[in-house]
Amino acid sequence: MAGYHKSGTKRWIDRLGLWLAVTLLVSPAILFFLWMISLSLKTEIDNIEWPPIFIPTAPTLANYVQVFAENNFGKYLLNSLLVTGGATLIGLAVGIPAGYGLAKMKATKLAGVIMIARMTPALSFLIPLFIAFQWLGLINTIWALVITHLVITIPIIVWVMMGTFEGLPQDLEDAALIDGATLWQSFLLVAMPLSRPGIVVATILSFIFSWNNFIFGVVLGGKDTKTLPVAVYSVLTFEQLSWGPLAAAALLVTAPVLIVTIIAQRQIVVGLTAGGLKD
Amino acid sequence: MSDRIIRPSRRHVLGGAGLVTLGAPALVRNAFAQSSFNWKRFAGETINVLDVKSSRSDLTFAKHKEFEELTGIKVSAEAIPEQQQRQKTLIEFTSGKPSFDIVVLALHVQKRIAAKGKWLTDLRPMIADGTLTSPDFDFKDFNAAGLTFSTQSDGTLDTLPKFVDYWILYYNKELFAQKGVEYPKTMDDILAAARKLNDPAKGIAGFVSRGLKNANVPVWTTWMLGQGMDTVDKNGNLMTNTPEAVWGAELYKRLNTEVAPPGTIGFNWNECQTSFATGRAAMWLDGIGFAAPLEDPTKSRVAGKVGYGIVPAGPKAYHSPTFADGYGIAQGSARKGAAWLYLQWATNKANQLNMLKNGAGSPARNSPLSDIDTIKTSKFGKEWFDTVLGSAAIGRPGLPVIIPVTEFRDIFGVALTNMIGGADPKTELAKATEAFKPVLEQSEKG
Amino acid sequence: MSTAVAGMSRNYWPFILPALIAVLGVIVFPWIFTLYMSVHDWNVSGTVTFVGFENYQKLFTDQRFYEAVGHTLYFTVLAVVFPVGLGLAAALTFHREFKGRGFLRGIFIMPMMATPVAVALVWTMMFHPQLGVLNYLLSLVGLPPASWVYNASTVIPTLVIVEIWHWTPLVMLIVLGGLANLPSEPYEAAEIDGATAFQKFRHITFPLILPNLMIALILRTIDALKAFDTIYVISQGGPGTASETMNIFLYLQAFAFFKLGYASAVVVIFFTVVILLSLLLLHVRQKTKWNV
Repeated sequence: MAGYHKSGTKRWIDRLGLWLAVTLLVSPAILFFLWMISLSLKTEIDNIEWPPIFIPTAPTLANYVQVFAENNFGKYLLNSLLVTGGATLIGLAVGIPAGYGLAKMKATKLAGVIMIARMTPALSFLIPLFIAFQWLGLINTIWALVITHLVITIPIIVWVMMGTFEGLPQDLEDAALIDGATLWQSFLLVAMPLSRPGIVVATILSFIFSWNNFIFGVVLGGKDTKTLPVAVYSVLTFEQLSWGPLAAAALLVTAPVLIVTIIAQRQIVVGLTAGGLKD
Repeated sequence: MSDRIIRPSRRHVLGGAGLVTLGAPALVRNAFAQSSFNWKRFAGETINVLDVKSSRSDLTFAKHKEFEELTGIKVSAEAIPEQQQRQKTLIEFTSGKPSFDIVVLALHVQKRIAAKGKWLTDLRPMIADGTLTSPDFDFKDFNAAGLTFSTQSDGTLDTLPKFVDYWILYYNKELFAQKGVEYPKTMDDILAAARKLNDPAKGIAGFVSRGLKNANVPVWTTWMLGQGMDTVDKNGNLMTNTPEAVWGAELYKRLNTEVAPPGTIGFNWNECQTSFATGRAAMWLDGIGFAAPLEDPTKSRVAGKVGYGIVPAGPKAYHSPTFADGYGIAQGSARKGAAWLYLQWATNKANQLNMLKNGAGSPARNSPLSDIDTIKTSKFGKEWFDTVLGSAAIGRPGLPVIIPVTEFRDIFGVALTNMIGGADPKTELAKATEAFKPVLEQSEKG
Repeated sequence: MSTAVAGMSRNYWPFILPALIAVLGVIVFPWIFTLYMSVHDWNVSGTVTFVGFENYQKLFTDQRFYEAVGHTLYFTVLAVVFPVGLGLAAALTFHREFKGRGFLRGIFIMPMMATPVAVALVWTMMFHPQLGVLNYLLSLVGLPPASWVYNASTVIPTLVIVEIWHWTPLVMLIVLGGLANLPSEPYEAAEIDGATAFQKFRHITFPLILPNLMIALILRTIDALKAFDTIYVISQGGPGTASETMNIFLYLQAFAFFKLGYASAVVVIFFTVVILLSLLLLHVRQKTKWNV
């Protein structure tokens, strides 16, 4: 019984350590975003006060009003959704099978070729692609951006899926193949359902990287295809201090992804748990 | 002289502008001097405009409806941050098929490159064409400073000036009064005054200006102009390692190390503005367009306490460094007529006056500055207008008219930051001049 | 093929081809263009002249380029080691069961969701030496103000802080994926053997999640080498050239100076470095691949 007491203390210390760790891990994010919210709800004069004002004395929505009045945010949101959605869907359609094929063939070198797209500095694509899209008449179209964003989405999806498929037991598939399934059937009906957690992670990662991309949009996006990150940067106006509107715009841009995260967060947890922690 | 690296002398430039001015009445006579000018001639066309995001483009864009109603032309316009806009301009022109008809150029940076790349349409034939130019356009009204920037060395007028920026000295009247300091009369006085005003214990700096590489170069050239010297002379020789240049750099170094806020080595206008607007810097040297936010009590703690002054005289000369933006029509545009109507409208007297009234900058036309009502009712006060007029009278380009302006600003910008970090001005300038020389020579080849 | 038997050679090429074609379709032209441009000079009047290896020769004598390489390596090492280390710790923490885990994990991964450009602009303001909130926080705990990105010697570490804040969650997610797929049998066996928590981590968890860690390491290395948005927005390579990485150097040459030939030579060298590094990492990754 003495041992029970001891392990109780140990557990208590363990819990304390855990919560300390969690607090340390989440506080930079919490503090940063709270500060951003605080900036977005204050007037400019309060935003440059010293010592800094953390809780707005007279909260105002003026910054949000200004951002909406001066920008066509609905349109930028739609553009971002089309570009990121399109590039992620195409990425998944070609990337999941590729990850599977590469895992089966153990073709790490070939995988390297696809990863090269991710390794090449994005800046080096821009001028040649601009010229190419000009030839193809794709300048100022969503397609130009979707195509370019494939460079972001495909490599991520391929690599995450490759890792996932490598980790799957081979015997289930072998059984299916012996029973007369084609490779595609084995892939679609056996491997895919088993790798749902991997697909979720791949989708989220590719979505985020594509969503947040700034430099492609700056050079290849025209005024009709401006995406949200580019629009946020445009809030910066020469000769104007605009921290409030900037923070407001930044939060608005981040909000859709955060909502997706919060919804998908449950799925990740459920998916990962179901995939891995079963007895 | 057309193919050398040319920075026209001031006399030459004024002469050039004079010629244009003399020519103007004839142009006006050619026009149908009636109200029957047909603004609707290009109705139904759509023009694409690429502007720089600023309070000036905000004002113009807000009135696009007026232009569309006047002309029946549809405007599809975009304003993006300065740095990106310059890149976009460069890429689109160089790739040969720009997606815009009208572009706003920073003439202090892109003038020579626009000429070399044959980017823009010469506007003179259109100004001379009475069917294309409204009789109330009044070309004579554009000021010499603006036209200096718009006129190329061969006389081509490939832009219409939109905005002339003079660098001025903002000062905090309250801090000056507290310490009993007078507005400096000379550049040396600035340092002396700043020393009196500097109060690190209270977190107040005597003087603030840009330290960030590239952005900092006009600060140094401002001091150099006080020695009556440009960075590149009229024959295309670099003057950047002359004793005058070193003097300017030494002043720059002292102001940025002895009486500046901590960290100015990374300050752009933005950080400077924050320091000044919160009353933590007694003086600030920068462009004239900051009056509006500084006088806005929701954005500034010094509203009502801001003094405006012309850049004090240097040891040998008294100049105000000038910069300018202008509208150009792309050489490859298929809608030049409609684009020209837009240029006329965007730079007309009412719009230029509107810009001044809103404190968005100093106009490229003379008429707004003599509009007594505006000056009387303005919240910026007489001092600001006096500073604009006074600066205009002694304006001189603050950057060299060369192709690689950006590299110039980069290389000398690094030299200046090195000085803030402790390096010797003379050595740094010699090194930078050596590094930039081949770049300049290479740029005019081919 | 429908009668395929285990062990018989199976054709997996149809699975791979679409992705390969899509990727190559986008990058092959830029590669050719870049290689071509790297031996040419393209000036603003649009004339392209062949210059041989002049761009490369110039690059190899360009002091600033060497400095940029140095900054890149310094930045990359810091921006890989810290996020991977902290990401592993975070994954182990969030792998445990506790109340509100889902919510807190959601908060923790928020930084990587946030748009880098937007976030970088807010960080810039926080770094302001006179009015930044970070110096205020330092003053609360009695520390003297720091100059953050406004000082040549602290700029890179400061940029790394932003990078850590931003990308540690990514590493956490990748490692978490590995942790979630751990089999429970070895732990049960270890429990019976009376292994300590550290022993279990060292001998069971760590080897099993090593592939995920390698993926995280590779992704981080590539991303750190390519880091652009944050540096571009916060320091623009400054003060002076103190945080000018290869990518910023490339940006200046291509977009600010429009020296496409020279910039292309930078890309080719940069690319070679990245490829060599990646081959090394791939080699390591192959060594650590687990077999079930």
